[in-house]
Amino acid sequence: MRKRKKISLSYMGIVMALLLFSFLCILPFWYVFISSISDPLKLRTGDVRLFPNGFSMQSYRIVLKERRFYRGLLVTLIRTVAGTGLGLFIQSMTAYVLSRKSFGGRGFFSRMVVFTILFNGGIIPNYLIMQQLHLLDTIWALILPMVFNPWNVMLLVSFFAAVPDSIEESAKLDGANDLVIFFRLAAPLSKPALMTILLYISVRHWNELMDGVIYINMDRLKPLQVYLIELIMRSSVQNMVEPSENFVTALSIQTTVIFVSCLPILTLYPFVQRFFVKGIMAGGVKG
Amino acid sequence: MKTHLKRIRRDKYLYLMLLPGVLFMLLFRYLPMGGLIIAFKDFSLRKGIWKSAWAGMENFTFIFTQNPDFYQIVKNTLEINLLKLLFSFPMPIVLALMINEVRGVRLKKWIQTSVYLPYFVSWVVFGGIVIQFLSPGTGIVNRLIQAFGGSSIPFLQEERYFKGIVVVTDIWKGAGWGTILYLSALTGIDPEIYEAAKIDGAGRLKTIWHISIPGISDTIVVLLLLQIGAMMDVGFEQIYVLCKPILYSVGDVISTYVYRVGIGNAQFSMTAAVGLFQSAVGLTLIVICNRICRTFFDKSLW
Repeated sequence: MRKRKKISLSYMGIVMALLLFSFLCILPFWYVFISSISDPLKLRTGDVRLFPNGFSMQSYRIVLKERRFYRGLLVTLIRTVAGTGLGLFIQSMTAYVLSRKSFGGRGFFSRMVVFTILFNGGIIPNYLIMQQLHLLDTIWALILPMVFNPWNVMLLVSFFAAVPDSIEESAKLDGANDLVIFFRLAAPLSKPALMTILLYISVRHWNELMDGVIYINMDRLKPLQVYLIELIMRSSVQNMVEPSENFVTALSIQTTVIFVSCLPILTLYPFVQRFFVKGIMAGGVKG
Repeated sequence: MKTHLKRIRRDKYLYLMLLPGVLFMLLFRYLPMGGLIIAFKDFSLRKGIWKSAWAGMENFTFIFTQNPDFYQIVKNTLEINLLKLLFSFPMPIVLALMINEVRGVRLKKWIQTSVYLPYFVSWVVFGGIVIQFLSPGTGIVNRLIQAFGGSSIPFLQEERYFKGIVVVTDIWKGAGWGTILYLSALTGIDPEIYEAAKIDGAGRLKTIWHISIPGISDTIVVLLLLQIGAMMDVGFEQIYVLCKPILYSVGDVISTYVYRVGIGNAQFSMTAAVGLFQSAVGLTLIVICNRICRTFFDKSLW
């Protein structure tokens, strides 16, 4: 039989406060969702509060017809897939090498990685280097600078350090070289950690705004986030709406685009969030 | 020398695996550091980084003596970061300590899942929602104010609210995810210690003060040091999304200014000098604070 514990007042207070904050964290997403399906006129007059008011899919029809939206989505998809693949491959190899205690260059290269966390060239030199490399206004500008990430590398180093040395040694006795050990043994053993980093990199790519703003001028190559901010800030909604459709207000279209663009994250998040947590938990303990 | 070569030979596959990472690091992290020399040059796009004429300290004398914008953006940057240090930094600690008190496993999971969520959407999306919430007339916040008899406030058009909005939205978006390192440290505490404290009759506050907080103090120090190291750096994206030109006097920070004036107006050398100043101060701060921490608390980043 379960004993019922008395619930203290302080416990109630803590739980209530946490539930309130949880509610506040979910509210924005709920709000854009109900706004996007509400009657645009009701939305404009501010009559949409916690539940949808009226029902209209008009703004979805407009957004899903919009070519610029699809182009942004495509650019973001390409950079996310390519950037994540390349980033995970290179970061995990780098981290594996730096986690090997027997590796002679370990100290030097580790310090080199950490220094990039403490000091950076900043916006202007980065821009000029990209220009010198003729990468401005190419999709590579959105992919290559993010391939190396010192934070992820350090996190991965602490994962790989947990791979027991005995496995490496016995594989070496069997004549396996370091490449084989990494791809056949260490990487498969660290799958949860690699999954965590994979998700980090892809979320970063999906959400990244700054490089699109700085490195991309051409409309054709603007990623989703840049398209979004132009829609929200510069109110470029007007030229999306034909006069016959002007009962669909800007507000309604903005909420719809916002909702659609974070839909991938909202739908995947419940399934993958344990990886985010697990990864950090395992790596974070050692700092 | 010979043993050196031998070791390199032995580790040849490791070096091979390290090569691409190091290449990308050199190209996109270290080369830009070298590019900072344009802060000491009179850069022209036509001549490029290496062939532009030297200007000595001219760019620095200009920003320190003739550019009033410089003091404004440094002041804004420092003010926003001090406010964040004061309010945003402790929030995840408080939240983590509270979450740690929750007993039901499912309730705890549910709370964690929902408070992490805002971290995973972009500032464009989150800022876009904030803009709608705060909009005069139709926004949910102003609706609430009006319901309680107040009058609508144009939050994002008035200077005095801006820094507050930056801090509050920063907490809203990031405090939940910020708990994760603290929670991971808290799970490392032996449950028996809590049990023992309970048997000894320690109340909730006492156990938090004497067990939980000491258990996360290392994490607090590390994150505090990193936060101080970022003192000169306010994230570009949050400001870029929330700050309209009418609010530049309070909201323009180093990163947004360098982008707008440097790349927008092609004043590369002057803004590179601003950037170098920012990076150098950041590095100095973290080195000094790390040393202080090592001497007085015996804790350090490296």
